[in-house]
Amino acid sequence: MAWCTPTCSASRTGSPLTRWRCWCSSASWAALARSSTSWSGGGSTGCCCHCCRLKLIAEGELKDMEQFFDDLSDSFSGTEPEVHKTSVIGLFLRHMILAYNKLSFSQVYKLYTALQQYFLNDEKKCGIDENDMELTNTEELDGKMEKEELDVPLREEEISCSGPLSQKQAEYFLSQQASLLKNDETKALSPVSLQKELNNLLKFNPDFAEAHYLSYLNSLRVHDVFSSTHSLLHYFDRLILTGAESKSNGDEGYGRSLRYAALNLAALHCRFGHYQQAELALQEAIRIAQESNDHVCLQHCLSWLHISEQKIFDSCVLLEHSVNKSLHFGLPYLASLGIQSLVQQRAFAGKAANKLMDALKDSDLLHWKHSLSELIDISIAQKTAIWRLYGRSTMALQQAQTLLSMNSLEAVNVGVQQNNTEAFAVVLCHLAELHAEQGYFAAASEILKHLKERFPPNSQHAQLWMLFDQKIQFERAMNDGRYHIADSLVAGITALNSIEGMYRKAIVLKAQNQMLEAHKLLQKLLIHCQEIKNTEIVISVLLSVAELYWRSSCHTIALPVLLQALAFSREYSLQYLASETVLNLAFSQLILGVPEQVLNILHMAIEPGLAHGAVLDKGCAMFLVAKCQVASTASYSQQKKAEALESAILNLNEAKTYLAKVDCKEQLRDVLYFQARLFHTLGKTQERNKCAMLFRQLHQELPAHGVPLINAFK
Amino acid sequence: MQGNSVGDSCQPEAFCWASELAFALEPLLLSELPPPPALTEEDARDLDAYTLAKSYFDLKEYDRAAYFLRGCKSQKAYFLYMYSRYLSGEKKKDDETVDSLGPLEKGQVKNEALRELRVELSKKHKAQELDGFGLYLYGVVLRKLDLAKEAIDVFVEATHVLPLHWGAWLELCNLITDKEMLKFLSLPDTWMKEFFLAHIYTELQLIEEALQKYQSLIDAGFSKSTYIISQIAVAYHNIRDIDKALSIFNELRKQDPYRIENMDTFSNLLYVRSMKPELSYLAHNLCEIDKYRVETCCVIGNYYSLRSQHEKAALYFQRALKLNPRYLGAWTLMGHEYMEMKNTSAAIQAYRHAIEVNKRDYRAWYGLGQTYEILKMPFYCLYYYRRAHQLRPNDSRMLVALGECYEKLNQLVEAKKCYWRAYAVGDVEKMALVKLAKLHEQLNESEQAAQCYIKYIQDIYSCGEIVEHLEVSTAFRYLAQYYFKCKLWDEASACAQKCCSFNDTREEGKALLRQILQLRNQGETSSTEIATPFFLPASLSANSTPTRRVSPLNLSSVTP
Repeated sequence: MAWCTPTCSASRTGSPLTRWRCWCSSASWAALARSSTSWSGGGSTGCCCHCCRLKLIAEGELKDMEQFFDDLSDSFSGTEPEVHKTSVIGLFLRHMILAYNKLSFSQVYKLYTALQQYFLNDEKKCGIDENDMELTNTEELDGKMEKEELDVPLREEEISCSGPLSQKQAEYFLSQQASLLKNDETKALSPVSLQKELNNLLKFNPDFAEAHYLSYLNSLRVHDVFSSTHSLLHYFDRLILTGAESKSNGDEGYGRSLRYAALNLAALHCRFGHYQQAELALQEAIRIAQESNDHVCLQHCLSWLHISEQKIFDSCVLLEHSVNKSLHFGLPYLASLGIQSLVQQRAFAGKAANKLMDALKDSDLLHWKHSLSELIDISIAQKTAIWRLYGRSTMALQQAQTLLSMNSLEAVNVGVQQNNTEAFAVVLCHLAELHAEQGYFAAASEILKHLKERFPPNSQHAQLWMLFDQKIQFERAMNDGRYHIADSLVAGITALNSIEGMYRKAIVLKAQNQMLEAHKLLQKLLIHCQEIKNTEIVISVLLSVAELYWRSSCHTIALPVLLQALAFSREYSLQYLASETVLNLAFSQLILGVPEQVLNILHMAIEPGLAHGAVLDKGCAMFLVAKCQVASTASYSQQKKAEALESAILNLNEAKTYLAKVDCKEQLRDVLYFQARLFHTLGKTQERNKCAMLFRQLHQELPAHGVPLINAFK
Repeated sequence: MQGNSVGDSCQPEAFCWASELAFALEPLLLSELPPPPALTEEDARDLDAYTLAKSYFDLKEYDRAAYFLRGCKSQKAYFLYMYSRYLSGEKKKDDETVDSLGPLEKGQVKNEALRELRVELSKKHKAQELDGFGLYLYGVVLRKLDLAKEAIDVFVEATHVLPLHWGAWLELCNLITDKEMLKFLSLPDTWMKEFFLAHIYTELQLIEEALQKYQSLIDAGFSKSTYIISQIAVAYHNIRDIDKALSIFNELRKQDPYRIENMDTFSNLLYVRSMKPELSYLAHNLCEIDKYRVETCCVIGNYYSLRSQHEKAALYFQRALKLNPRYLGAWTLMGHEYMEMKNTSAAIQAYRHAIEVNKRDYRAWYGLGQTYEILKMPFYCLYYYRRAHQLRPNDSRMLVALGECYEKLNQLVEAKKCYWRAYAVGDVEKMALVKLAKLHEQLNESEQAAQCYIKYIQDIYSCGEIVEHLEVSTAFRYLAQYYFKCKLWDEASACAQKCCSFNDTREEGKALLRQILQLRNQGETSSTEIATPFFLPASLSANSTPTRRVSPLNLSSVTP
């Protein structure tokens, strides 16, 4: 038998939403029409026939509909019935006939007018406006007429409250919006219009509890604590009712929804950062769950407990428990989330990288097995972040690209467009920063532009790219020597991440030669970060402090600080920071007059630096190498000295190209000066003059801040 | 007063109200009666059609009435024409509800006539052709279409044009949700405004102001008005001055024995005081007058509830709701009944319904909170109690409930704040201080604990009514021990003696007395100078106000 598929009736309409609407409405009202096509023969012609049949009824009289139902019951009888009584369609039809027979006189007429109206609307919609996204418009016609008739503008609410959705329509609407909220916020309705739709829905069907939950999610989007609490509690009040009907206090009954109500409340408080409140709610959820031996709920509680406690003090114990238990109870999603969170924490705590990667690999296996595509995304994003943390930009780049190119695969397979999740935001941000580091600013800004489109400023994950955007701008401003601009960016960064903001503020102060203030700020930051165990920042701060010291020519004091930083970065295997520390150390030693020693250390640091470092650092490193080479020539013979100087000049050239990439004029000027001096020593007047001229140009452009030229390393 | 004529006769409620007031005044002499309003030419022309239509209207044949009025020009006829159309729509809507196609259509049924009426009326309104009744009808139509803001404007206009029409005032009352809104209304300055203000103050729980207004109305000559008396009684009920409210209601029933209105409130009062015979009498009486009234059902429900026949009580509240689904009190009361029956989920449902009907129903919020508290979810119920507290900031019961929840959650600071505040706003159940004292005791803040107990005892004794208050003995025991520790022998022994008069603390009191005697004998000299019996006030109460005044309740840090 040819069964007219839902999409068939919808093929004439364009957008997915309209298509859905057509289908859903046909599911409810025009079910009869659909069934009529079922024995009208042709598969592809079914759609047409269905329209015809409907049209016949709608444009005809009441008796056409009555006739239709009379015919319908005939189809079961006869020697070779068209429809089997016990088949799915047969059951459905019998249901329908029964319902029809039950209708009272006035109800029959009402059904008929409703059908007419449905048909009219649909026709009008197809004819007039293909892209009309309006969900319901049973009375749009009157609305429009009235609007013209009336000089007083009708309020928008009044028009939108045009009619109810059917149960199916409403359910579909809710699930669609919810999944969009989760996966791709930009495609979901805007918070205001979504709320309006929900209010409308609730107005016509106040018992529709799920709408309250969506309204809770919607309020979360706009960070409205009050109304989201309200909606959440309302949802559970309603849910408890429906649950109560099935079983009184059992596993599925309302005891269950009570537990989850408390758990959800905890989640809400967590999301808004009310950790104390969250904990109270969690205690409650845990207690109730324990009383009724609900291990699954308990696991969820444990995970949330970890999240709320993480902010207060970091402990892995809870998390480990949670992972173990979740695996035991067969909750792969929760277990993987736990593992990922654990990996993240361990990475910050400086655990061995290979173990972490192993753990991630294992959990990946789990994901692929259960095809938890969302978690796969997160896992890759996390790998990107970890590689970045370790200072392996190439690996990070590779992971980021993996995720981004995997996306297309995913979309084809599942049909769910999961491309606006947090994982993607993270990866894209990293990608932007990686490009900016390598001096590809155009590419970086392109990526950021893309981010802005995908995650509009008021969406959930927008803060991520805002931070990265400002950080990149900040770096550029610092390279250019436009400190006032950098300073103005600090406020923005602080708003998004206070620690990062403080650190940047200190850097600006340092660059502006306000050593005392910078030092004070850095010390404060250092203490704070040591408290919260943010090692990455601690090392950066230590480096900055050391720089402050050697700027004030206290290299001996700088040395222990640098050694401490080195020890830290080695311990936490933060390679990028380690090589930077080594460079600083080398510089200090150079100034202290042990160039041979310096070259030794430099060899150690230069390789990873060149392989993974940012362009700026590469330039500085090469510059430093050249300086050391020159410094170590003092004891050489004339011949050897010339050779050494030549190679130093080559290194300087390399440094120059690096620095030019990131537009770092100040360092470029220093390099040129140095190069000119070298050429002078070698007697190459022409080259010297060229360098001198370039130096002069740059020098005029940038006023010197009175910083000794050679004395600065960075 | 006699100005209410035509329009009111179509609106029985408003007419009834006006007549009641008129009845309360001294009868006028014939010569003093104002002449009936003169008929205009138009009125005369429409008179027959109008009379015909009016009789159809009275017979509830609205469509028929409207049909015969369609060509009429006079204001009176026009109003009747529109009003019958409106009522016909309403009637059809009600009929439709029974006859709907299924749950799908729930809430879909609406008065189809409203849109048309609105269009026509708004045209007339634009052209300023509407009289007071027309404006009133326009307002009603707007309100039914959920256009509250426009409706308020129109009703205000209606009160200006026709200040004597109580219906418009009453509608306005339903639309105003807070004091701020009230401030910005420009209302005509008539004696009707006083009634309106008094009414709305009662609605907005501004009881003091309402009572003042009513008093001044009584002084102005309406002393016999049953309406005012009942309103005053309701006001007293709202501030939980039960005795006064009861006596006023009794008075009211004497004056107007067949009155059914407001009797549900009366039954609530009787219920609270557990006055079974009176409640039973009232229930039977009302049942005789009219079984099928919402108020009657409520009274019967209350009666059964008092007799602990909760199923039957719930049944009657359900009946009340069938009679009027928007009758708020019944939802809440039904929730209470389900609570009694330990059917928490049904209780939650009932309370939620109540809230849906009226978000400002503090009892429903409070009931929800209680339900969750019973389900042992103290954190969860905080939200509900907070809502209730917001609606009745000066009601100690919510504060005590909040405090108890905080105590269960071990948030003792907040709990203390709540109890103290509950005491400060005038504790009904007199439990806040004891609870506060116990908290202090728990936290080893003996000084504050003692002060709280002292205050508590003073409170109890100054009331003079309660004899067997459980916690009094606890208070005395604690105080005795406290003074004993402080080596204030006189006070200690006074308290210990008090202890002896209670069963549960007698032994302890005696033991303490012996100890005191012993110690006294040892250090005879030291303790002669103090001789104040502590709980009988003056000297002590001067310096015993709790030092830690935890002023205004600040829960904002924890409120979402």
